Amino acid sequence: MTQTQTDQPFDQLPGDLMMWILIVSELLVFGAGLLAFMAVRVTDPAGFALAQDQLHRSAAGINTVVLVTSGYLAARAVGYANAGRIAATRWALLAAGGLGMVFLGIKFTEYAEKAALGIRPETHPFYTFYYLLTGFHAAHVIAGLVIFALLALRPTPRNLQVGAAFWHMVDLVWVLLFPVIYLLR
Amino acid sequence: MQTITRAWLILLALSAASTAVSFNVTLQLPAQIPLLGGIIILLLAWAKARIIAARYLELAQAPAYLRGFSLVLALFMLTLLGLYVAATPFSG
Repeated sequence: MTQTQTDQPFDQLPGDLMMWILIVSELLVFGAGLLAFMAVRVTDPAGFALAQDQLHRSAAGINTVVLVTSGYLAARAVGYANAGRIAATRWALLAAGGLGMVFLGIKFTEYAEKAALGIRPETHPFYTFYYLLTGFHAAHVIAGLVIFALLALRPTPRNLQVGAAFWHMVDLVWVLLFPVIYLLR
Repeated sequence: MQTITRAWLILLALSAASTAVSFNVTLQLPAQIPLLGGIIILLLAWAKARIIAARYLELAQAPAYLRGFSLVLALFMLTLLGLYVAATPFSG
């Protein structure tokens, strides 16, 4: 019995299988972190609420809009690359990367404010998770910006699809981190 | 309007909605409201994540994978919700 290429279940996945393995791995890591955060919160809900009051929900909300819009531009860049529009691809990548830098600017301003208040990871378990999860996420944003720079150098459709998928994973993680850390009371 | 543009606009609306719900939750409202606010916030997060998976990551092209992703994500959010309820003093 012969088996055609389309019979392979992974062939249905858009993009590169290795990128999907990375995406699932990252989601599992951040998912475990969020579950641990919520589990520890059960032991001290009042302390977590007080610590959360020091965060800027509005700034984090703006950052969500920034990252979601950056993801949109990355998706448009993929479309431009598929259409062979190299200049448009690069402009979309530049705009997506620029918004990524805005995200980091807001994030590091937030960290600086916490540092000025003497808030450190060991101040309260809330901040341990806050710095760990948002810091790890910010590291992924930085990695994404490096990937954007490399994509701008060689904007082939395949490169764009794989690179944009990484950025969308970063986006996906943030839309889960944001409500759990900043919004849930 | 392109599908990806529509997805982006919906994501913006859902993000604004979850932040708005959060600000209401911080007010001194009746006891049941914080729990309700948390449920809505987690539901909106699930919806946003699903849109990113379906449209940005293009899983809409692979419906079986999208269904699987949505199901696993829903179970994850339900677990978060369970922990949230366990930590909410007004849940009893």
